[in-house]
Amino acid sequence: MRILTLACSLAALIAASPLSAQTLNVASAGDQNMVDYVKDYLAPMFEKAHPGVKVVSVGTGPGDSGSQKIYEKLDAQKGANATDFDVVVIHQKAAGQMVKEGLLNKYTGNVDTAKLVSSETAKNSLGADVAGYVIPMFQSQTALAYNADMLKNPPNNFAELAEWVKKNPKQFGYNGIKGGMSGVAFVAGWVYAFGGDADKLIQGPYDAAEKAKWDKAFAALKDFNRNVVITPGNAGTLDMLNRGEIAMGPVWVDMFYSWQADGKLPPNMKLKLAAPGMPGQPMYYAVPEKSAQKKLAEEFIALATSPQVQADGIVKKFNWYPGIDAKNLEGKLDKAAWDKLFTDITPADLSKNAKPFPIAPYFNDILEGYEKKVAN
Amino acid sequence: MSLSQRQLALLLIAPGLALVAALFLYPLFFSLVSAFTGPDGGFSLQSFGKAWELYSGDVVFTVVIVLASCFFTGLAAIVIAGTLTLGENRWIVGTLKALYRWPLFIPFIVAAQCMRTFLAKNGLMNNSFVSLGLIEPLQAVSFLDWRGIIATFVWKQTPFVALLLAGALAAIDRATLEAGRNLGASRIRVLIELALPQVMPTLLVALVLSFVTMLSVLSVPMMVAGSQPTMLTVDMAFRINAYGDYATANALGVITYLISAGAAIIYLRRGMAQEGAR
Amino acid sequence: MNGRAVMRLAAAARATLAAFLLAAFAFVLIGPLANLALWSVAERWYTPYKLPVSYGTRYWEQVFRPTGDAMASLGTSVWIAVLTVIVALALSIPAGYALARLKLPVRAFFMILFLLPQAFPSVAIYINVARIFYQLGINGTVFAVVLVHAAHGLVYSVWIAAAAFGAVDRDLELAARNIGASPLKTFFSVTLPLAAPGIIASGIFVFLESLDEFTGTFFVGVPQVTTLPLLLYNAAMGGNYQVASITALILLVPSVLFMLFIERFLRADVLAKVGA
Repeated sequence: MRILTLACSLAALIAASPLSAQTLNVASAGDQNMVDYVKDYLAPMFEKAHPGVKVVSVGTGPGDSGSQKIYEKLDAQKGANATDFDVVVIHQKAAGQMVKEGLLNKYTGNVDTAKLVSSETAKNSLGADVAGYVIPMFQSQTALAYNADMLKNPPNNFAELAEWVKKNPKQFGYNGIKGGMSGVAFVAGWVYAFGGDADKLIQGPYDAAEKAKWDKAFAALKDFNRNVVITPGNAGTLDMLNRGEIAMGPVWVDMFYSWQADGKLPPNMKLKLAAPGMPGQPMYYAVPEKSAQKKLAEEFIALATSPQVQADGIVKKFNWYPGIDAKNLEGKLDKAAWDKLFTDITPADLSKNAKPFPIAPYFNDILEGYEKKVAN
Repeated sequence: MSLSQRQLALLLIAPGLALVAALFLYPLFFSLVSAFTGPDGGFSLQSFGKAWELYSGDVVFTVVIVLASCFFTGLAAIVIAGTLTLGENRWIVGTLKALYRWPLFIPFIVAAQCMRTFLAKNGLMNNSFVSLGLIEPLQAVSFLDWRGIIATFVWKQTPFVALLLAGALAAIDRATLEAGRNLGASRIRVLIELALPQVMPTLLVALVLSFVTMLSVLSVPMMVAGSQPTMLTVDMAFRINAYGDYATANALGVITYLISAGAAIIYLRRGMAQEGAR
Repeated sequence: MNGRAVMRLAAAARATLAAFLLAAFAFVLIGPLANLALWSVAERWYTPYKLPVSYGTRYWEQVFRPTGDAMASLGTSVWIAVLTVIVALALSIPAGYALARLKLPVRAFFMILFLLPQAFPSVAIYINVARIFYQLGINGTVFAVVLVHAAHGLVYSVWIAAAAFGAVDRDLELAARNIGASPLKTFFSVTLPLAAPGIIASGIFVFLESLDEFTGTFFVGVPQVTTLPLLLYNAAMGGNYQVASITALILLVPSVLFMLFIERFLRADVLAKVGA
């Protein structure tokens, strides 16, 4: 009898153990606050709804290098049976490449919330077709941050900015192109402003002759650089704004708000989206092709992109623009939280001046052109 | 006898070599292949051409930064280790001993983190100087450029070199030093003429290790200084992250490796010359 | 009388100068660390304020929150570092002895081989290592991370061990042999104890190297093995100064403890050596 009980409990244990040992590995390319968002906000909610599941959240570093690490890890695991990651949060450039190389699973058909997204970025990632492979987690935007105490009338467009910089040398700072995407976005904005046809760069098709038209823009940028401070990284620009060493610089809007919330920026800092605009980009939720937990991963993403979570987590907690269409958030959010998103940059500014990054081949041409003609 | 000793030596060194071979040489082989492969899949030096065309300035910048850092690190380490060994004021030696090692515990990334808020124009350092009345607020300059990189490297590496040097100095024969002192030589002369020559090999080992370590650090140039010009590690990371261009990144890696091999060879030459003299 | 006064004055001036230099040195050393400590308790700090506007422990609570895994990561980090030191020393003591004492063909070549992993920037290498480890099925284990860290730190332990063995007086070994000790016994009772301070010092560097390592851990350890530098790296790169500072301070604890412990050991041994 005792042996039977023992055997029974043992069997129960064996049967139960795989269930309780179920882990969902979520890898985020981004700042620590994104890793913590998954760990502290999404994971407890998901674990409560799925007893026996443990969500493990790891970060791979901010910026494209974080996404690149996820790509490299998935690529290294091509020969393995199952990948280490079940859900990945990645940038646009990596998303296009991963889809092309078959590293991602076409999952959005299984997730109802995918229908709540109509934006172009959910289908097209820097010219790569990613429809079906990604759902935006949030949308972010670059803009010029400036100290309203030192600067009453911020420049409305890039030409005015260039004028202002000439008059106020070393008061504008950006991080070049090697220190993070806010500097890259500024350079892209510069090329949109002075390098001809922005729409062509954003929509394609790619024409290798196009880059010859940017020489003047790059020469002007080289001249412009003489009067600016090159900062160490996205955080470096914010850092110099924090200490009042520069009065203006390009930043990610979400970083700007979280720095301000963390008490690392003066309360009188404001944002300005100068014409003809600067790029923004979404972060994507995706599922690796060889994830062993596809079903769970889909359920996790469905939760993360549900209107309530997008309203409370993405907009209210982090001041990110929602990944799903804004109209789905109606009634889920108090007006104050929603309005806060648009204090400095109005919805009208956004619709006019928020641009995507150029398609990948132009993107690379701009970066390499900068390396050759501006930095060198 | 000689043959068996040789076999024994190879036997003893084999496990260590095996680890390096498996976890470094074998993977390195793929990197080399990628650096020397052209777009058409054949052998080509194209990646090196590109690396040189775009980053020749950064190669020079890197070498200058690392050499300057090594120079100042060596200098600071000699002063510290010399004071520790020859200092006569117990209080000073004790304080110095308690102080100098602290940065040794600090990872490079933390050092970079400290320095980027410390050395900035309105950072803690300049603010302290202004508060003490040493400089006027308008005189404050930012050190977040090549000077910042060198300062961070020297700050972080000096304890390492000083620790090894102080160990070596403690181990040399005190009698000759005492004799020098008794003959009336100043402590500085004793240090330079009597003590240092005996510990030169240790200093060289420490500096060569610092040299290669600094060459491969990414976080310091990335976080402390703007990216124009910058060090090769930043360029490598940028090549990979922005373009997925492993070929050029690996070519830059090979260039870095050649630079550090140069340093290693200088050290080894010296070591062999000594062996020959023995 | 007058001469003595001048001498006393000169001594006082020298003491003042020394104290001043020491103070400047302390500022240079401690300043950046004080900065770190300030940031860890700064809740709000921005221009034009020279010191934090308000202080608090909000970020300490955030790092040590129940769902946070700072302490668990710290434990893993230290455990890995200790194992790495053991592996590295086990490999480097025989290798160092061979390099220092035995006739080895192409010695210079071998020395450079050990330097290689430290010299070549690592990302490209680790991707390939991860590939190999996936094939072997050991990716994501502490064992794999230890191997990678050991290969990286081996240059410290081998080079310094070789130097330490090289510094041991051959006459002492010969004396031991002359009174009838076997080569093995001579090694364990004379050579190794005399070289111990250097070898222990090399262990410190391997330990610190391992504690600092990020890239290799990411490729062969994550997500099953996560260490503290991973958290630190994300926070520091993202400009999350408070969290980065706190993580850095936590990371200092094992290093300092390790160093204090080792220091006692080191001193005793050096003294013994001086006496012998």
